[in-house]
Amino acid sequence: MRRGSTALPAALAALAVSATLGAAVAELARIEVVLARDRRAATAALLATDACLAEAIAGIAPGWDLAALLAGPDGRSGTPDDGSLALPAGCIGGASAAPGPAAPPRILLRLEASAGGGRRRLEAVIGRATAPGPPALLWLAAPPAWSAVAGTVTLDGADVDDPTAATWAGLAAPDDAAGLDDWLAGEGTHIRLGAGTGPALTSAPPPVAALAARVRAAAPAGSEVLVPGTPSTALALVAGDLGVTGSLRGAGLLFVDGILDIHGALDFTGVVIVSGGVRVAAGGSLTVSGALWVDAPGPEVVVDGSVVLRQSQGGIEAADRLLPLPRRAALLGLRDLG
Amino acid sequence: MRPHRTRATGLVDLLVGTALAAVSLAALAAAVASGGRLLLAAGARGEAEDTVQLGVEALTFDARRAGYDPTASGVVPVAEARQDRVTFSADLDGTGTVDAGSEEVTTHLCSVATGRLSRIIGRQSMPLAEGVTACGFNYLDGAGLPIAVPASGLDAAARARVRAVALDLELQPPGLRGRTSRTIVVALRRSP
Repeated sequence: MRRGSTALPAALAALAVSATLGAAVAELARIEVVLARDRRAATAALLATDACLAEAIAGIAPGWDLAALLAGPDGRSGTPDDGSLALPAGCIGGASAAPGPAAPPRILLRLEASAGGGRRRLEAVIGRATAPGPPALLWLAAPPAWSAVAGTVTLDGADVDDPTAATWAGLAAPDDAAGLDDWLAGEGTHIRLGAGTGPALTSAPPPVAALAARVRAAAPAGSEVLVPGTPSTALALVAGDLGVTGSLRGAGLLFVDGILDIHGALDFTGVVIVSGGVRVAAGGSLTVSGALWVDAPGPEVVVDGSVVLRQSQGGIEAADRLLPLPRRAALLGLRDLG
Repeated sequence: MRPHRTRATGLVDLLVGTALAAVSLAALAAAVASGGRLLLAAGARGEAEDTVQLGVEALTFDARRAGYDPTASGVVPVAEARQDRVTFSADLDGTGTVDAGSEEVTTHLCSVATGRLSRIIGRQSMPLAEGVTACGFNYLDGAGLPIAVPASGLDAAARARVRAVALDLELQPPGLRGRTSRTIVVALRRSP
């Protein structure tokens, strides 16, 4: 009898089958790993493109149209920099005019971003938000100064007329949102936040100079619209500082091209825009149902008295009807290009 | 001289040898069979994972571009919203019109009865997933809260409130007991 005549072939056959199976499992695992890696790269690139788009939109200054973006950094159309804009690292792209009618204002933004070994491209339609300004009660052109509030500031982001309306932030300024919240918290009991007040927002400064030009061109009234009794809704411009010593009320849009200096009481429904800063002396009070927008070379808001800011969509809409207010840039749609 | 006795293979040896060989072969066969089943199961699982991922990616792709409207002609992003189907619209070529026979109108249809998730473009229905055991669409408003979907689907006012579309998808891969599932929420890329 010849021993081993069948054992060796059987062992070899088993080894071959096992090796084939093992190789198949390994190949399957390899394919799944490659697929997972590709998916991860595609997802990372998609997220990077979305992040780039979000930053690009956040970087567009509030305004009325998007012509400045199409003209590029030099502000002149027909030059090589048309449509170029500052984008975050790892992201390239540019703006171009959207097809169709000029209104509503909108542009096309093409972006390409790379991340995690992947690359994605998209085209977005950018326009202006339907609501004016940022959804914030106090919009500042610079981060607030510490210890600017010796009195009290009450910020209530809930709408005075519609409790179901989306709440507003207390503060918007061109600074890190967490830093703004830190400032609000750091003022301690001097700043009271209503239950419906949202966290602070990062925002570009209010376009106060452009607003001043538009207000002047709209034949505004003067400070006479501020009255002790029931006010009429009006567009008002005060050229220079406005001192309030009595108890006055107003409604609509009030532009103070100087310092708003309050020793008495001012109760306004709508939007108050101040180019020189707000000073509320001890014993004075400023109440705005709507929004307060301030751009000043020095400290923007110094409060020794009392300031109360409440959301009022009705007040904002009334002001917007008197004079179209600036809007933030908004994403109107996108499509992935690959 | 004592006679020399040669040791022959006896019946007992033969039986023991046969039994050992049988056990070895059985173990080998079982190992090979296990390997084969593992291969098949891994293949089925991998395919099921790829399939649900494909379904999720297709919905993400179409939902992201819903309402794309470069000419501001008033494209409605979500043209139909039911629990078993959602239809997205987009003016992809920027002509100001939405061509219902092109990719500008895309429907995702869940049918647990047929076990299929399909993507429908014009008259073309492309299966994205077979073996579907659970599938449904949900719709979220701006606050991230679900919008109740009546049997007839959301009306125009409710569809205008939709800010995100969610898909729950579950597959039963053939030959496997465990199911493969995904839930994805895709925000519409369009400011209110």
